[in-house]
Order: sequence, then structure tokens, then C-alpha cells
Amino acid sequence: MFSKILIANRGEIACRVIRTARRMGIRTVAVYSEADSRALHVRLADEAVAIGSAAPRESYLSMERILEACRKTGAEAVHPGYGFLSENAAFCRLLEAAGIVFIGPKANAIEAMGDKIASKRLAAATGVNIIPGAAGAVEDAAHAGRIAGEIGYPVMIKASAGGGGKGLRVAWNESEAREGFASCVSEALTAFGDGRVFVEKFIEEPRHIEIQVLADAYGRAVSLWERECSIQRRHQKVLEEAPSPFLDEATRHAMGRQAVALALAAGYQSAGTVEFVVGKDRGFYFLEMNTRLQVEHPVTEMITGLDLVEWMIRIAAGEPLALAQSDIRREGWAMECRINAEDPFRGFLPSAGRLRRYLPPAEEPGRVRVDTGVAEGGEIPVHYDSMLAKLIVHEPTRARAIARMRASLNEFYVRGVSSNIAFQAALMQHPRFVSGDFNTGFIAQEYPHGFHSSDVIHESPAFLAAVAAVARRRYIARAVRISDQTRGMARKVDSDWVVLIGPERYAVHLDSIAGGYRVVSANERFELLTDWRFGSPLMRGTCNGQAFCVQLERIGLRFHLAHNGTEADAIVMTVRAAELLGRMKPKPKPDLSRFLLAPMPGLLTHIAVQAGQQVKTGERLAVIEAMKMENVLKAEQDATVVALLAEAGTSLTVDQPILEFK
Amino acid sequence: MADIIRQLADKREAARMGGGAARIAAQYAKGKLTARERIELLLDPGSFEEWDMFVEHRCADFGMEGQRPPGDGVVIGYGTVNGRVVFVFSQDFTVFGGSLSESHAQKICKIMDHAMKVGAPVVGLNDSGGARIQEGVASLGGYADVFQRNVLASGVIPQISLIMGPCAGGAVYSPAMTDFIFMVQDSSYMFVTGPDVVKTVTHEEVTAEELGGALTHSTRSGVADLAFENDVEALMMVRRLIGFIPSSNREKPPTVPPFDPADRVDYSLDTLVPDSPNTPYDIKELIQKTVDDSDFFELQSAYAANIVIGFARMDGATVGIVANQPMVLAGCLDIKSAVKAARFVRFCDAFSIPIVTFVDVPGFMPGTAQEYGGIIKHGAKLLYAYAECTVPKITLITRKAYGGAYDVMASKHLRGDVNFAWPSAEIAVMGPKGAVEIIFRQDAGDPLKLAERTEEYREKFANPFIAGSRGFIDDVIMPHETRRRICRSLAMLKNKKLENPWRKHGNIPL
Repeated sequence: MFSKILIANRGEIACRVIRTARRMGIRTVAVYSEADSRALHVRLADEAVAIGSAAPRESYLSMERILEACRKTGAEAVHPGYGFLSENAAFCRLLEAAGIVFIGPKANAIEAMGDKIASKRLAAATGVNIIPGAAGAVEDAAHAGRIAGEIGYPVMIKASAGGGGKGLRVAWNESEAREGFASCVSEALTAFGDGRVFVEKFIEEPRHIEIQVLADAYGRAVSLWERECSIQRRHQKVLEEAPSPFLDEATRHAMGRQAVALALAAGYQSAGTVEFVVGKDRGFYFLEMNTRLQVEHPVTEMITGLDLVEWMIRIAAGEPLALAQSDIRREGWAMECRINAEDPFRGFLPSAGRLRRYLPPAEEPGRVRVDTGVAEGGEIPVHYDSMLAKLIVHEPTRARAIARMRASLNEFYVRGVSSNIAFQAALMQHPRFVSGDFNTGFIAQEYPHGFHSSDVIHESPAFLAAVAAVARRRYIARAVRISDQTRGMARKVDSDWVVLIGPERYAVHLDSIAGGYRVVSANERFELLTDWRFGSPLMRGTCNGQAFCVQLERIGLRFHLAHNGTEADAIVMTVRAAELLGRMKPKPKPDLSRFLLAPMPGLLTHIAVQAGQQVKTGERLAVIEAMKMENVLKAEQDATVVALLAEAGTSLTVDQPILEFK
Repeated sequence: MADIIRQLADKREAARMGGGAARIAAQYAKGKLTARERIELLLDPGSFEEWDMFVEHRCADFGMEGQRPPGDGVVIGYGTVNGRVVFVFSQDFTVFGGSLSESHAQKICKIMDHAMKVGAPVVGLNDSGGARIQEGVASLGGYADVFQRNVLASGVIPQISLIMGPCAGGAVYSPAMTDFIFMVQDSSYMFVTGPDVVKTVTHEEVTAEELGGALTHSTRSGVADLAFENDVEALMMVRRLIGFIPSSNREKPPTVPPFDPADRVDYSLDTLVPDSPNTPYDIKELIQKTVDDSDFFELQSAYAANIVIGFARMDGATVGIVANQPMVLAGCLDIKSAVKAARFVRFCDAFSIPIVTFVDVPGFMPGTAQEYGGIIKHGAKLLYAYAECTVPKITLITRKAYGGAYDVMASKHLRGDVNFAWPSAEIAVMGPKGAVEIIFRQDAGDPLKLAERTEEYREKFANPFIAGSRGFIDDVIMPHETRRRICRSLAMLKNKKLENPWRKHGNIPL
């Protein structure tokens, strides 16, 4: 076994590899770029080596510098994590030549699987299902009909040069195939100037399901079952689970057998993943093999009880795979949410900057696992992917896994950068997700215009009102204990309150009980017990005996609440104050459509217009530098600039007005 | 007797109706509450005791003799805020537009005199069209009587003004002399001369809102400390403010039972100051992570944001926080920020509130605008305020403390009691680059040499040790232990006694 390994990666995966290595008694070396000098993986490793500037090319992708770091520290092996150099055969060879072990497959297996055409050829030769279709161009309509008949309907007729849905037709019978051919060719000619088209099987309601395999250097391989990865946004996986709610036992075993056969045929030795597309008829077809550890590997670890990184290290060290297929367990249900630094309410715009507050949920062995790559006070650099952590849960059933995930997301508190937690929480309560009825088109179908706060309706706003009232009542309980009071003039605190959440009003009655309050909120009863402390951003406790956790910040008079994907501002008032508030005529809200607002926090570097200037749609108005990127703000309609409300050089907050229009 | 009691009931009822149902409805339509409703929300429920409900004006001219509404347009009395006595006057816009008559002014003076005697704050709820023109000079005299009391009460009892309607002409000078001014958005305005006069005299066209609305005064002029969305919010927030301040200069600041451990450490502060000296960070994160329960009552948040001021608690007791904000103008001191902080420091000193100062200041803002504006005298105000002040002063230098601004920001030399620095502190006459350009002028043409010299200077001065070697810094502390060290220092300083030499009063550079 190795005594020291180097991890050629960063973020959560570097931290995760260090965790296993430490457990195995192996010393670890981290490498880091200039942007990561204070990163968590650097602090966790036994040693750390600076390998260059922030740009990945100059650091995490620089084979020479990583090799040099190995030499300097005497690392005997390199774990590449995922991304960066993890599927780079040249890197693998370079290490081998230097007598350093690459913890992963051999270079030739990486190459064999890295080439899409070659890997499909090998798969077909090994008896792995590949998507039926004609490789060559179709000659004419009759030919198209003939090929389609051989493949079996429905088929997809696709322009060779196609993309973005252009030059694509689905045919359900022969006449449609002939017509489709004709229209596809003409469309392809106009769009791409290339009329070649081909035909392949159309997969209905496709799911992305992958098989995890482990193979050693001695011709032994096992399947660690599947992972369901169909919940994707723009081809990026968002959450994953194991097992798949869709597979039956026969399909699962058939997929596993084919995956193992392919691994053996490729001479694969390490952990690897064979990706399949699975149609609604449970027909499955090989897509590609990933010759590395996958982001979503923890769900497999949770259901099998195996540590994939440990096995990667053991296999790389030449140990035989001491597991037979019959040893591979499949227990319970595991689910993983990727927690990304991005703003789901603003088109998932990546968010970088300082993590002001970062409180992941507490880990519970075998039940809740957090693979995190950051810590509170850390910096999220702009140069790398936006993943902060992976939240993984494991429960006996899928329903309980979903419930556990919802509870854990409520406990995940991130401030300073935006996070997608609200979106993940919304998915966790989407009826289609909960029922298991989804495919890779799910997010595009259900959120065609992006994600909005109106997409998540809280099932019990009265509960949120109760939580806000309890928090306020606690503050009052302390306020009335202030020093310097006049004898005999103590404030009497009423039990009735009104909570305002948006336009809604909730009448709330509070009675103090041991450890909390008995609350009647909008005629619903809640017994809220909590040890919540002032200023704590999480109110944890039990509500009618059920554990709950609501995120709560006090901003002026408001309590900003976040729970189950809903975010709400609540103001708690005495009954009288609420009554008086209702008497006043509401003042008109300023019309913000007349303003150019900063879409993100950043530095206003340039204003391209002057007061009084007429601007046309699309004209440059201002430039904001955010996350080291220049963002040009353009006019959305013809207008006249009335006033400049910010000067160049100002640090802008989100939604800060920059210009006023008429 | 029964007759008198019945009359009393009638009079009370008439007084409560103020200017009548129609005018009350008009008040609501403007998004405003009535004078008594406002008092109700300001004070603990049921605690208000009204005085002078039966006072009437004494004017007999211009038809005024026929209308003598009881109370004469202002409601006065006392009550409690969380059990602590507070005096209040609330102008009633529904009665003669809240205009100030001689007897109206006398009512205000009455509670001010009482508040001075018993040592309790005065809260003024302003909603007045101005002087009672029918009364002429009697009304003007009334204003001056109030002004005189404002001045005598200054530094003795806290005075808080809420502007909840018009406040124009001479009337503005009473709030101007109080400690805090809060305004309500879109329904209050303050100016010395209104838009009509402005138009006649200077031909400027401006609306009342633009000239003296809540936004104007909380962002441009700095006259208002904060602007609130509506009457209810403003009153609720004033209650919260009162919880931070003592009832008079005879009292210690109030305390509440602390729940946040005084020795709580926060490791995320160890990475607050970025590696690059020119990268800003948010000083409010330090404030929030240092004070009790992250509860920081910021004042003038939208004005001169390059300095941050406000109240918080440390281990249950009130402190005043002053902090340079690197996010805005790199935290430079300029005219506005110096005046803003100086006035706050003097309030804290007057009312025995310890001051915690967080320093990251690259210097005074250069430029003609600042020099022509009198930065010399205005900057001196902050220096004067800190130097004069005798309450416990704890200073922490997080990063830059350059030049004269270092001296100004509660340095050891201005009787700072405990002066800490983080390891990232750089205490020097100026930044390394500027310093080298002056010291090594002969190398001006040689960028390589300059860079070398800069590095040399940085190594020598870009740390807290030179200042430490002179005793200007008492200790270099780790960022994560900031709260613990400040709480301990405050506890140690609890019985600090320091007196300035006797004099009638100093001569602050106004």
C-alpha cells in the first residue's frame, strides 16, 4: 500500500479523497492554485504544494507542475478526482514513466473509452446494446423508410450537421419517415448548407441511468448497481439517486452484466461508470463509459456500504478485488443533491465571493453525509465549477430518503453567495419527482421559463407565521427584562399577534409552555418547542412532535424565513399595530421598470450614457465588473435617460438602481 | 359633580376626535396615522398618560376666537417603552394643520422640563404645517422656547425626533438639535424653505419630496438617521433604538440578559481580510460576527457609507460601533463620514456608552472638492470628538491605518484604552508605494528598484510590530478571538473614570 498520495484536484472531491486516505493511514498531499491558497482541501491535507496561478491551465491542468509536486513531496501515487486530468491518458503515461501510480484505469483503457466511436464499436462487439441506427447518410425517402423499418419505430431523422433541434424529425411510421426525410433534408440545406441526414432509434422519455463498476488488474469486475441521473438542467446533473425508481430487477441485472462485460473487454481496472440511456419501454442503450470517479458516486457508496475511493486506491496498489457480485449489497435508498453557488431565481447565474455563513447539516453516519469543499469564511473563486458541496442521504425507502433530504436542505444555511438550495427543495416536493415519473426532460418541461419563487407554494404558511411569532415573542420576552425599568410600570405582553407575510395576514395566539409556545395561527394549532437562541440563523425544534428547522434572519423589523424551498418575509405586530397599519392608505411603490437595476453585485466600471440621452433597444448603458467578468448592460427598450443614479467606481448591490429612464 | 364628570367625558371625547372625522380620513389617505395612534404604537400598550388635554390657544384674531379645540394640536404626556419612562409629544395635523401656537409650544416645553427633572428621553412626533400664523410673534417665541430647551437637554437626556409629516421653516431646528431624526418615506419632508419659495428665489423647480423627503435626508444631506416605510415601522424601530440608550446622562446604558457567550470564537473571521491589500471586504461582517446575536442597529446606513456607525450589545451591555468600510471609497475619511462619526462619538460619550472602533483606513480623501469643502475643519471634528471622549474606547486595526487618519481613529494617542491589531494590520504614514516614491525620489525612473524598495517598506511597516514596539498597540490578536477580547476589555473597563479639565466648554471646530 502507498504511504503517501497526491490529490490532483480541489474542492469537495479533494477533501473527500483525503478523508478516505486518512482513514487508510495514507498521508496526503494537496495541490493548489493561487486562488485556492486558503481553500479547505489545502488545510485538510498533510502537505500542500502551490502549483501556479488561478487559471486551470496554469495549475490543476498542468501535468508538469503536478509531477514536480509529486517528486518534491515523494508522493507514490496520484488520485485525479474528477474533471481536470482525471481522464487524460497522457497524464497517466507521464506518471507511469516517472514511476508514480495513477489511481485510476490504465492509459489504454482511458483511450479506448475516450473515443466515442471506438468505444461504441467495442461495446457492440462485446454485446452491449447500442442505439440502433444507420451510421451512413440516407440516400432518399425510400431508403429512409427502409432503414426505419429495420430499426423499428419511432425513429429520429437527424441532420449530420444538425444542432439545436434544427433538422430533426421524429417519425412513428413509414409515411412519416419519408416525409420527415424530405423536410429534414431541405431544412438542413437551408440551415447548414449540408443536406446529409441519418436515421436512428428515437428513445421515448429517455432516462439517464448509469452503472458503477469496479474492476481489478486480475480480470475481476463487479457491478455496484445503477444510479439514476435523469434530473438534469442543460445536460448538467442536478440530483442523483440509487437505486433508480424506474428499473426492474431484470433490466438492472442485464445492464450490470453488460457494463461488467464492457469493463473486462476494455481491460479496465479501477472504478468506472457505464452510462446508458433508458427509454420508457425499458430498452437501454450504451452512451459512453466514464473512466473516473463520478461526482455522484456517494449514492452508490451509501447503498453498497463500499468506499469507492478506497477500492480505487487498493486496485491501483495492485490488490485484487476481494468482492464477488454476490457480495455487493443494495440496501435502502440514497439520494444526492448538488449544492451549487448559483442563483436559481436569476437563471442559475453562478455566484462567487466570500462565504459569509456556511452551516451544512450535521452528518449522521449511514444517514446524512455532506461532502463539502468549503468552509465558512472561504472564498468561492470564479475560475472553477460552482459546486460547494454534495448533500447525500440514505434511508430504507425512497419516500423516507426524500423526507430526510427535505429536512437536511432546511438545515443547510449558506449566505454570502447564492445557492440552489431552494431549487433542490422545490424538486424534492414536485409531485412528478416524488412519484418517480420523470426523464431527462423533466426540468425543461416543468420549469420552461426558469425557476421562480411562485413555483414553490408552502404547504402551511400558517406554520411560517407561527415560527415568526415565536421568534418575535422570544425577543420581547428578553426586551421586557431590560435594566433601568420603573417600578410598577412593567410592560404587559399580549398573547395575540398578527403576522404579515406579503399581502397575507395571520392572526396568531401564543401561550407559553415549557420549552416553547402553544400557537394558534390562522386557526391551525402548533405546539412549537425550540431552544432557538437570538441571532441564530436556524430555528430547530419540534412542531406538534415533528422535528423542524426553519432558516430565519432578523433584518430590521422583518424575519426572513426560508423553509422547504419557500422564502418569505414576515413582520410580527401587535393586533393594534396591524389594525392601524390597515387604516393607512398604502403608498404607491416606486415603479422600478423605469430604472436600470444592477443584476448582480459588482463594480460599476463604466456608464456609457448621459442624462437626457435617448437610447435605443440594445444600446450599451453600463458595464459592471463582477466575478472578474465584464457584464454589459443594454437597453431593453427605447427610452430617455433621466438621471444617473450611480457613478463609475461604485460597488453595486443587487437591484441597486443605476439609471432612471423616462 | 355628576355634571362635571359628564363634561369631562365630553371634553375628552372631543379632544380625542382632534380635527374631526374628515381630517382624520385625510390623514389616513396620506398614509399617516393620527397623533394619538402614533403614541399608542410608540409606547407600551396602555401606558400612556396624557397631560394638558384641555389646553386651548389664547388667540382672538382672524376668527380664531371661535374655534378652540381642546389640546391645541399637540398631544403630550408620558408612558413607557419596555417598562422605562419616556416623555412624548405628538403633533396633531388634523388640528390647525398641527401648527405651533404659543400654548402648543408651552405643552412641548412642559414635558421637556419634566423629562429633564426625572432624567428620561423625549420623543417628538413631528407633523406640523409650521407656525400658527394668526398668532404671529407669539408662535415664533414658542419655537424659540422649544429650541432653548432642546439645547439645554442636549447631552442630558436623549432626544429623538420622528418626522411624520411636514416640518418646514423654523420648525426644522428643533429636530435638528435632537440626537436622532427618523423620517417616514413619502409622507414626511423637512426643509428650511419650501419648493414655492425656492422657485421664486432661485427659479429651481423641485418637489417637496426631492427637496426634503426621507430619501433626500437619509442619503444626500445626512439630516435624517434612517428612513422607514411607514408610521408603524418607524415607531416600532424607535422602540428598538430606545432599548440601546440610557434614560439620561445620570444612568449607565441599559443591559439585557445576554445569551450569546462572551467567549464565542468565530474562525471565519481569520479569512475576512483578503490577501490582496486592495481588495475590499465588508466590515459589517466583522461587526455582525462580533456583537451579541449579530444584532447591529445601524444609523445613517445610506449616508457616507464609507464609515459605519450604530449601536450593538456586547455581553448584554450597549456599545457604540464606529468602523471604516473598505467597500465604499476604500474606507477613506471624507467630510461627510467625519462629521457623521464625530456626532455619533459625542452622543456615546455624553451618555456613557463605550465605543468600539474598527479601523481600516487608507487616509483622508484627497481632492479639491474635499479641500474646498473644508475637510481640514470637518476632519478635525472627528479627531476632537475622539480626543475629548472619556468613555471606554476599544480600537481594533484590521488592516490599514495610514497617516493622520490612523491618529484620528481612536488611536492610543487619543486615550484609547485598549488598542488591538490583527496580524494583517499595517500601521504607517502611508501605503508602501506612496512612501517609497517620496523617500526614494532618486529612483523614480527605475521601476525595478522602486518595486524592490516598496517590498522593503512593506516588510518593515506592513505589520503591527513597529506600532507594537512603541506600545501604540497593546496586543496583536487573532481575528477569531475578537469578540472574546473585546468583551473582556469592556468588562475590565467597566469602572473607568477619566475627567477632562474643567472649562465652560471646549471649542470644537464647527
